[in-house]
Amino acid sequence: MSEKVRVGFYALTSCYGCQLQMAMMDEILHLLDKVGIECWFMVERNSEEDREVDIAFIEGSVSTQEEIELVKKIREKAKIVIAVGSCAIHGGVQSWDKDKEFNELWKTVYGDAHVKFEPKMAEPVEKYIKVDYKLYGCPPEKKDFLYALGTLLIGSWPEDIDYPVCVECRLRGNPCILIEKGEPCLGPITTAGCDARCPSYGIPCIGCRGAVKDVAWFDSLALEFKRKGLTKEEILERVKIFNAYNPKLEEMVNKIFKEGE
Amino acid sequence: MYIPITIDHIARVEGKGGIEIVTSDEGIKEVKLNIIEGPRFFEAITLGKKLEEALAVYPRICSFCSAAHKLTAVEAAEKAVGFTPRLEIQDLRDLLYIGDMIESHALHLYLLVLPDYLGYSNPLAMVDKYRKEIECAMALKNIGSKIMDYLASRAIHQENAILGGFGKLPTRGQFEELKKELKETLPMAEYTVELFSKFEQYEEVKDKEMIHMAVKPRNGVYGIFGDYIKVSDGFEFPVEDYKKHIVEKVVGHSFAKHSFYNNEKHFMVGAISRIVNNADLLYGKAKELYNQYKDLLRYDNCFANNFAQALELVYFVERAIDIIDDTLAKWPIKERDEVEIKDGFGVSITEAPRGLVAYALEVKDGKVNYADIITPTAMNLAIMERHVRMMAEKHWQDDPETLKLLTEMTVRAYDPCISCSVHVIKL
Repeated sequence: MSEKVRVGFYALTSCYGCQLQMAMMDEILHLLDKVGIECWFMVERNSEEDREVDIAFIEGSVSTQEEIELVKKIREKAKIVIAVGSCAIHGGVQSWDKDKEFNELWKTVYGDAHVKFEPKMAEPVEKYIKVDYKLYGCPPEKKDFLYALGTLLIGSWPEDIDYPVCVECRLRGNPCILIEKGEPCLGPITTAGCDARCPSYGIPCIGCRGAVKDVAWFDSLALEFKRKGLTKEEILERVKIFNAYNPKLEEMVNKIFKEGE
Repeated sequence: MYIPITIDHIARVEGKGGIEIVTSDEGIKEVKLNIIEGPRFFEAITLGKKLEEALAVYPRICSFCSAAHKLTAVEAAEKAVGFTPRLEIQDLRDLLYIGDMIESHALHLYLLVLPDYLGYSNPLAMVDKYRKEIECAMALKNIGSKIMDYLASRAIHQENAILGGFGKLPTRGQFEELKKELKETLPMAEYTVELFSKFEQYEEVKDKEMIHMAVKPRNGVYGIFGDYIKVSDGFEFPVEDYKKHIVEKVVGHSFAKHSFYNNEKHFMVGAISRIVNNADLLYGKAKELYNQYKDLLRYDNCFANNFAQALELVYFVERAIDIIDDTLAKWPIKERDEVEIKDGFGVSITEAPRGLVAYALEVKDGKVNYADIITPTAMNLAIMERHVRMMAEKHWQDDPETLKLLTEMTVRAYDPCISCSVHVIKL
């Protein structure tokens, strides 16, 4: 390939951790002769959102009217759009309370003050545009970036991850936090790829990579949590930190609590 | 006819912000820093949530200083429930925080600031001509990340730092490995001081009125945690009184608020503010370098913040080695104590890489009943805007590219974390 692959990294509303993760990869230096940065404000002053790119990485949730226009523009100019991280894919932790009135949240934080931008409730990028590939995580692992970039650069296509954290946790031989310690671990429903990092530190999974596609059995996890004494509200609240927009969550958890009593 | 000069999106800072400069025949009419990210309502969304879950969410305010947010929130929560961590745990939190400090300073100085001084638009393009600088940047960034990896599971959004201590501690061998690598990195930190000592601190923003705020370190050595705030005008106050002395106001052009000291004065926080208030508590090589370069560590110029960060790299590398020595002398260490979640209210203010970060948490029935967070960039915004204006007043008739670069450099000197500042403040 003689021509450089044109890449853009765009941020919506986020903590900038996804692009920080990418910027921190030592391997990035090896990519320089293959990749041209068209837009990446965090590292390149000569960045423009209007340029055409081959691969667009988008991090952050859609949280203002201006950002709706921006994602549409990125889609028009990009051949491949990759949603990066929990905010872009699932709306992020800022959508934890998405069912509350937006005005109520605004008032709690800003009082009666107004600003000249048009803020809105955080939403996933996919609500507005077609997304071709997803890099899960809060933030994604460095190897997630390498795998996606590596496969795309050789003209292939990265595969989606369709199994939960538990698979990796078992392979590492960790004692089970959920069964043996009785703590509310979200490993069974959460997309793998982190090599079960938190459970390996004795910390129950908080679900930062989001629910695993199509096979997140919220109902059987809810049943297990219910047996351990958690209420429906407690279960929903914990799972919603990173899954507030999951269409199946409430229905599946409700089922358990209807059947039981 | 004068067209406003706008930088829609300031490059090489954390977050999304812009500068707007409006001029007329007489000169500058208006200078505004526009913060254009959406709001994330961290205080509102954690209300009524379980304390442990809220503590997992707060660090997500910011990636560059997620350990700072985590540890400050955990300390506020522990104060609220009436728990005091063991000294060994406190030391290891200091070490984890130092990892964040080293990584953040290295990224800010080399990735964000250095290209301006060397005439590049991005740091990656410097790699052929400035290999040594890139190697220093990588090594310093990597040791900072590694400290966070080993102590807290990863460099961004760590879950391993929890109430009462840690889920799991590194092994003795891992501490020894960190120590060895820190020693190898020290010359690169010293090189950073030498490198940044050569760069201009622009007289255009010289400001004799500048006030600096920093934590008064708890254990008598230059550092991060403390129970009092020192102000460079000689005033001191306990962290619990922060609301009386740091007052926030909403401004129409951003989702971030501006902060004022005692209701009227602008103030600065950050590495230079720590040096201004606590230089007497430095020791070792950093103290020697401080004496050698005292003239560059100016209280009256925000550009001194870059050099102060370089000096802190040396200090914190040495300090991290000392903490590891102390830790190994006390080995083995128990990773965690049980914390009973009682009702209460607690305030913690610590030194994030870019300055003070404040958390006030009230806990009731195991849930967050009140939360107030003030981030360093929110504190710095008002004075940052003032200095951008000073820079613009001297250069408004120059060509727009010069004006843009110099005003951007002024903003970058503050090492702003814009996503941090878009937040969270309760009125």
